[in-house]
Amino acid sequence: MSNDHLYDSAPWTPFYGVAKNAVTSADSVEETHFFSIPAMIVAASEKYKTQTAFTTCMPNGMNGHLTYAQVDEMSDAFAVYLRESLGLNAGDRVAVQMPNCLALPVAAFGILKAGCVLVNVNPLYTRREMAHQFNDSGATALVIVDMFADKLEDILANTSVKHVVLTSISQWFSPLIRGVLNLVLKYWNKAIPKHNLNAQKLDAAIEIGRKRKAEKRLDVAAYWQDIQREDTALLQYTGGTTGVSKGAELTHGNLLSNLEQVNSVAGGHIEAGTECILTALPIYHIFAFTVNLLAFYHKGAHNVLVPSPRPIQNCQRAFDNYPITWISGVNTLFNALLNEEWFTVYPPKTMKVALAGGTALHKSVAERWRTVVGTPIAEGYGLTESSPVICFNPIGHERADSIGIPAPSTEVRLVDDNGVTVGLGEPGEIIARGPQIMKGYWNRPEETAQTLKDGWLYTGDIGTMSEDGHFHIVDRKKDMILVSGFNVYPNEVEDAIARLTQVQESAVIGVPDDQTGEAVHAYVVLRESGLSAQDIIKHCKTELAAYKVPKKVVFREDLPKTPVGKVLRKDVRASVVKSETTAQQ
Amino acid sequence: MLSPFEESLLSIMMVIIMFGMGASLTFKDFKLSMRHPQAIGVGFLSQYLLMPFIAFALARLLDLTIEQTVGLVLMGCMPGGTTSNIFAYFSKSLLSLSIMMTICSTLAGFILVPMWMAFYTQGIDDAFRIPPDQIARLLFLLLIPTLIGMWLRRKNANIGAIIELMGGLLGAVVIVFIVVTWVPRNWRLLAETSWQVYAAVILLGLFGFLFGYIFSRLLRLNPQKARTVSMETGIQNGPLAALIVIMTFTGETQQLILLIPVMYSLFIVLNSAWVTVIYRKITNREESARDQAKVEPS
Repeated sequence: MSNDHLYDSAPWTPFYGVAKNAVTSADSVEETHFFSIPAMIVAASEKYKTQTAFTTCMPNGMNGHLTYAQVDEMSDAFAVYLRESLGLNAGDRVAVQMPNCLALPVAAFGILKAGCVLVNVNPLYTRREMAHQFNDSGATALVIVDMFADKLEDILANTSVKHVVLTSISQWFSPLIRGVLNLVLKYWNKAIPKHNLNAQKLDAAIEIGRKRKAEKRLDVAAYWQDIQREDTALLQYTGGTTGVSKGAELTHGNLLSNLEQVNSVAGGHIEAGTECILTALPIYHIFAFTVNLLAFYHKGAHNVLVPSPRPIQNCQRAFDNYPITWISGVNTLFNALLNEEWFTVYPPKTMKVALAGGTALHKSVAERWRTVVGTPIAEGYGLTESSPVICFNPIGHERADSIGIPAPSTEVRLVDDNGVTVGLGEPGEIIARGPQIMKGYWNRPEETAQTLKDGWLYTGDIGTMSEDGHFHIVDRKKDMILVSGFNVYPNEVEDAIARLTQVQESAVIGVPDDQTGEAVHAYVVLRESGLSAQDIIKHCKTELAAYKVPKKVVFREDLPKTPVGKVLRKDVRASVVKSETTAQQ
Repeated sequence: MLSPFEESLLSIMMVIIMFGMGASLTFKDFKLSMRHPQAIGVGFLSQYLLMPFIAFALARLLDLTIEQTVGLVLMGCMPGGTTSNIFAYFSKSLLSLSIMMTICSTLAGFILVPMWMAFYTQGIDDAFRIPPDQIARLLFLLLIPTLIGMWLRRKNANIGAIIELMGGLLGAVVIVFIVVTWVPRNWRLLAETSWQVYAAVILLGLFGFLFGYIFSRLLRLNPQKARTVSMETGIQNGPLAALIVIMTFTGETQQLILLIPVMYSLFIVLNSAWVTVIYRKITNREESARDQAKVEPS
């Protein structure tokens, strides 16, 4: 029997009231409907002209900043450089590979203003991963930070990239500071390798664009005026569950819709033109890209960029020197902050709201945040494929262990393996439909067909819904372990193991087993010694049904993780399967 | 020893270094260090109870001459100096705590140094006292640049960072300079000095580090604070001791006693340098461990 009505009646609707009641400023009626991201950027730049848009804050407090007008002017000039000097056309892909720094927004906005498609690249990628992503996206131009120039040099010849623009973390710092910082980075941190790349410097490129623009009296708006909301803005690469890195094609409409959705639920808490947001998450990741970079630019906020939030002391000067009102982060970031005396004894007084996403926010972390900082921490949920927000917790009415309610104009259902909706309280795969869902995977019709069915995005996450429409994540569908016909959710087992204080973290995976089909294996990282595999199994027996108890416990020094700190169970599984195959040979 | 010109040059450098140290600090850091006042109490005890006793015990065990005993006990009674702050900074210990301890121990030294000297060196008639203008000088050297550094950093984070880098760099240069030039300048003195004196001055610093750490840990200070106290305990104000000796004694006695502060000052820089490397590594390791650790239950 279908339970469609359960979900399609949108039982969460009353909670939009909660979110909307928070809307106080007159600003909430402002026009948010733009046809393209450049239109939004130009409007915000015009409105907040003289205000500081971005500050890069180094661990020692060194900083550089750009105003809204500067970002607008420089990204215009960079757009001209891309179109006129490099001869790129609308729709051409341009990759950006750098940690958070002033060059990132200028390059990204310039690319979008040129009518090109932005490709965000993780700076920590290996040579092989870089080459794959450049070739898969067909990027012809690349803006890259000098710290990774040596990696690029090795692979450049084998990629589609023809033009390289080079920048640095210290870009647009004042000359003296820039010089000193470069010396420190080069000789103390040894972070800037030698290279022989034939590359244009970013400021030189912008200068060329600026001159061209003046000589030819070019109107940059002509590059992007005809962009429609259906046009692709961004190729955001994601491993997904299949492991092959593929580009989610996000349109201007997808990103702007998500921005509007964020705005309609959180906008009431954001005072236009006065907020200060700490961006410690990497902007090449979709969460910070949409929320920090786009949504808060639109709102005229001062964005404080931290190039590397690890170790967490790197954020201390940012908290010391700027009146941070918002922060976006993942569980590990909040966790790390809460372990610092300087943060817990003097939590930032200006802080208003913390936004959590990327991975499940632990209840203990959320509770401690509220006690220590005294302000809400709201968890949201989403995927790269959904620009990313699908669900959110109304600010001020957060529920523990819940990803909250669907964003406005988003339909969410829970379905079984046959795509039939499941009953109330039953676990099912979360599927979502709405204006923020991607067009598809770039050049991968088969993978797209598996993920997008009838407009519904199949998230691969198993969730449950409460009577009043709040959702709760149970686990990744792919990670589910089938033991003698019973479903075991690794999260549940990991949670049980985590209750042992000596345990730092664990990954629970299913391994093929002759008797039970699959067997539960736990890979555990201890934070202090004194715990045996038997102790863990014994503890699990008291907490879990017998079939969920790990059959084998293996201790590890560390576990593979994504850049935002999610434990990669698939990598653990791959390494285990690989080592067992070699053992058999 | 140093010429007057070199001495004033060193003073100016010290001012610049403390300027840089100040630029690495905020008032919050001081409030944090005062949040556990027992750390200062523990440091105080280890500096004024442990160190004089260690010095006295070493002098007895190594059978030092009367003059050397006086020198060593005086060394043990000394408060900390700016050198300890610089090493606290390099070893990523709590600089704010180190500075607070230096201030407290220097002020207290006014009363405690003559008292301990009278107690441990009974029978030697000369009265030991710290000249008040030296205390004022030290506090001035320490406090004013630190405060200006802090203020500048608050005004402009970029200038603050530059000053901090400069101070750190200069600190390293001074330390390397002392280590490299001291031996060739004083090889004759080094060659004539007995092994007992070597042992005494080296062990005084090392025992200071060791017992300062153990004592703090026993009194339940966290490891980073314990390392700060350890540094502060082991590193005594050598130049101040030398000055007191020069002002209190004359002639050959002066030269004999002076040997100890001079030798101590050399070896404490050498020993602090390697201890700093170790402490810094530990702090870095702790930082990354904290990064990973679970939130403590509220």
